[in-house]
Amino acid sequence: MDFAVQVKNLVKVYDGKVRALNGVDLNVNPGEAFALLGPNGAGKTTLIRILTTQLKPTAGEAYVFGLNVIHDGGKVRKLVSYVPQEMSVWTDISGYENLLIYAKIFGVPKLEREKVIDEALENMGLTHVKNDLVKTYSGGMIRRLEIACAMLIKPKIMFLDEPTIGLDPAARKVVWERLNVFKKEYGVTIFFNTHYMDEADLYADEIAIINQGKIVTRGKSEELKHSLGGEIIEFTLEKTAHKPDLVQNIQKLNFVKGVFEDGNLSVLVGDAESTLPDLMNFLKSEGASVEKVSIIKPTLDDVFLKYVGTQFEEKGRVSDVRHMRDMIRKG
Amino acid sequence: MMEGLKNMLVMIELELRRLRHDRTEIYTRAVQPILWIVIYGSVMSSVKAIPTGGVPYTDFITPGVMIQTTTFVSIFYGLTIVWERESGILKKLLVTPASRYSMVIGRSMASGVRAIFQALIIFPIAVLIGVKFVPNPAYFILAFTVIFFASGGFAAISILVASFMKTRERFMGIGQAITMPLFFASNALYPIKMMPPILREFSTFNPLSYVVDAVRGLLITGDLSNLLMDLLAIAIFDAALFILASISFRRIIE
Repeated sequence: MDFAVQVKNLVKVYDGKVRALNGVDLNVNPGEAFALLGPNGAGKTTLIRILTTQLKPTAGEAYVFGLNVIHDGGKVRKLVSYVPQEMSVWTDISGYENLLIYAKIFGVPKLEREKVIDEALENMGLTHVKNDLVKTYSGGMIRRLEIACAMLIKPKIMFLDEPTIGLDPAARKVVWERLNVFKKEYGVTIFFNTHYMDEADLYADEIAIINQGKIVTRGKSEELKHSLGGEIIEFTLEKTAHKPDLVQNIQKLNFVKGVFEDGNLSVLVGDAESTLPDLMNFLKSEGASVEKVSIIKPTLDDVFLKYVGTQFEEKGRVSDVRHMRDMIRKG
Repeated sequence: MMEGLKNMLVMIELELRRLRHDRTEIYTRAVQPILWIVIYGSVMSSVKAIPTGGVPYTDFITPGVMIQTTTFVSIFYGLTIVWERESGILKKLLVTPASRYSMVIGRSMASGVRAIFQALIIFPIAVLIGVKFVPNPAYFILAFTVIFFASGGFAAISILVASFMKTRERFMGIGQAITMPLFFASNALYPIKMMPPILREFSTFNPLSYVVDAVRGLLITGDLSNLLMDLLAIAIFDAALFILASISFRRIIE
């Protein structure tokens, strides 16, 4: 079976200077929601633009459902739908008219058109404003209209560049629920970029992190978090006496990876839930009584920080910044 | 081929829908040509300094001024394209199955639709101040068909320019630099034979002259002796620019 997206050693250099992609290798399975995370300027948008046949790579190969994006561009475009990062609807016509124009461009048969458009409007909660001019919409409504456009056809794969930028948390949730239903119902692959870690965590089947034009890690959210080395159980102990060599003794337990004490007692383990009872029993036998327990699990943010680091991006394109600000302001 | 034609019609439909929602631009853009006809035309016709072949000067310049306005509309259509580039619309359009050439020709002809409305609005004003048109509906329809296709060609120039001048500011500058010479080095305001020889040479390659000549023949003088040649020139102009604009269109989003 073909991968939905297959990328081999992809390189993109802009104007002979800026190396946006520096040897990307990536496979995405059909029917998955795939999230690409990375700092600004990491190459996320460039990768999506190459996969949607807008840009030619400098070197390497890229396939969408087995079709070469350079040589079979026309065929690829029949399979994909795409939501760019920037606003991509006409503001001087109504939401319905936008969808109508796109339905015609996509060649949705006349008899199905109304139904398909109504469905897309309904899905994105825009039915009540469908005849209003888009310039009267809020930023969030515009974003939903754009996603509705991408849902008009039942593409094999959707490329969404920051799909929920400018949406409030409630709208984000609704949009993703609809996208999920759409994905399950039609087996659509969803390939998206995002800055929201929680979004990738909740809705992506697989996640890849890209930094400086290279994929630095990939996997399911849980795998990525586990790869950080474990979870921390933090005990607040009552100030009664316990054996002085408590820390050393805990260290000797075979499931414990590390212990440190700084007022509280922190124990690093592989899986917090399954080891907690044993630890509690052990602490009791050592004469320590526990006042409070908390479990600290690594988040996707921690994963991101580990692989990308905490430095600010060195330089981005002014236009990116402007678009981002525009989108956020409209929201 | 059929699909290309269908996409062109969709682009025209888009333009009509936009016009339906907002016609302000058509009205504001009508001010300038009306001034040309009403003020400049009547002043110059009292001077009687320009040989117009027997027609009143106001009548003589009416087609020229109409074409000037529609050409301006078409040349500045590129601004819409630049705006669509700055937003994500063009990116999205280029990721649809629609072919590049159908997009370019479709958008160009959509501007032709706008141009027809722009020319139509001048028409009643011209009648009101006494311009005498050839009373033949067939001529009238043909004249507007010529305006439609010629505007398509000029809009293709603007798309071509837009694919190089990617910001609005730059585009505005170059738009002016194209339209004014086209207008003054044409037969819109005076016959070509009045021009200095160098300008006369240039005018032979100025598509605007052929358009004005055809429309003037059809609407005012009824003299169709050059019509075939004019139509041929416009057809070549359109074809050449559609091809050039289609080739360069892709670079617009890179």
